[in-house]
Amino acid sequence: MSREGGFRAVWPWLLFAWLALVIWAAFLWAPAAANFKGQSSRIVFFHVPMAWVATVAFLGSCIASIRYLRRRNMEDDIRAEAANSLGLTFAVLATVTGSIFAKIMWGSYWNWDPRETSITFLLLIYAAYFALRAAIPDPERRATMAAVYSVLAFVTVPFLVFVVPRIYWSLHPDTFINTQGKIKMDSRMFQVFMASLAGFSVFAGWLYSIEVRLERIRRRRQQEELL
Amino acid sequence: MWRFLAEAGAVFVKDLRTEFRTRVALNALGLFAVTTLAAVSYTIGPYRIAEADRPFLLSALLWIVIFFASMAGLDRSFVKEEDTQTAPLLRLSASPLVVWAGKLAFNLALLAVLMAILVPLYGMLMGFRPVSLWGFAGILAAGGYTLAVTTTMVAAIIARAMTRGALFSVLSLPLLLPLLIFVIQGTRAAAEGSPEGVMEALRAVISLGGIMTILSVVLFPAVWHE
Amino acid sequence: MSDLGGIMLVTLIIWAGLFLYVFRLDRKVRRLERGGS
Repeated sequence: MSREGGFRAVWPWLLFAWLALVIWAAFLWAPAAANFKGQSSRIVFFHVPMAWVATVAFLGSCIASIRYLRRRNMEDDIRAEAANSLGLTFAVLATVTGSIFAKIMWGSYWNWDPRETSITFLLLIYAAYFALRAAIPDPERRATMAAVYSVLAFVTVPFLVFVVPRIYWSLHPDTFINTQGKIKMDSRMFQVFMASLAGFSVFAGWLYSIEVRLERIRRRRQQEELL
Repeated sequence: MWRFLAEAGAVFVKDLRTEFRTRVALNALGLFAVTTLAAVSYTIGPYRIAEADRPFLLSALLWIVIFFASMAGLDRSFVKEEDTQTAPLLRLSASPLVVWAGKLAFNLALLAVLMAILVPLYGMLMGFRPVSLWGFAGILAAGGYTLAVTTTMVAAIIARAMTRGALFSVLSLPLLLPLLIFVIQGTRAAAEGSPEGVMEALRAVISLGGIMTILSVVLFPAVWHE
Repeated sequence: MSDLGGIMLVTLIIWAGLFLYVFRLDRKVRRLERGGS
């Protein structure tokens, strides 16, 4: 038990304090962006990190799926599943925060802006991933089929995220690191934004590790029951 | 190369033969398409839509009919093998890529027949006359190919799962939604006679189809042998 | 300004609740990992 002390015991509380500070700064320290209606720009501190976590999670799941198909190691299947459920959760959160922003900025929660369209498709695709997993009882077959579907799903994502908004006209603000590589943000806003990005990334990593460990225990129990 | 084509051709012809005997897929596909077309034509008709909206709405309706009809039949080629328990035999006698190519050709043939019946009928009943016929044909061909490649792969996946019928559309439609947007854009451009619009959509559709083809070739063996 | 403070407070409370939930889940998983093997 003595090895449990030190940083391992402290870091969750550091994370707690860090994100609490980010929340305070996001509302009361950073200024509101001038070209946005009222205070609506503040949601960027939460919306973008969530979208970022979702993107990284889906990428990670795709990589884990490819590794599974190569090495047939169930550990990779656990990783892929955990990353996908994390990605789906954060994509839902990004959708909700985006929708709140849309209500304030554009007057309605949902108007099928290309960004809203593409996130809807994304949610449908990854929800289908879990529908597929639920429909295959055999673990190895489930892992293979889910991995293949995950790869197929991941290649359609760039079409959704980059091509569809190019064809249709979008109201969505420029992504912050835009094509010119310039960051159009007030320096205080930028500090809070980066701090939030870092905090949410660590938090998501924590959730991911819990999910992976929980799934490992679940599977081991299932196997013990079978024996 | 020639041997590959001959073997894939054999798989294709075998599927075609059983299909001609039973006509399960063609009936499902064709009847679904014609019924939906009748419903659309009856409820909306050719003149209910304002002139300015016609190119877009008619393109969207056409592709929605095609997509949903294909959900009704394009999984047959693999599901049938599992149902009649001929899949293990096929696994032993042919290489995965041969099977994939044969099944893809079969789905392409089904879609071609469907389009050959549906598109002229749709044009007549809904008064849909694209200005650029070649652009329209190009979009139909490229869109049909990408649709067939994607559904072939999904059909191979769901054939080994439970509750296949529902699962097929649940898994296919989200993957196909970007394609749906591109082909509707392209068909609209063809209907309005804008070659740039057609080319832009065609590029997107072909790159999507190309990526799906490459992925299928790489991933199909894993699915087939699981 | 008080509106913003209110929203911040609600967000903070949500974060605290979420954090405690995840923290306890983490503990529980750690216990299971030790007990299960």
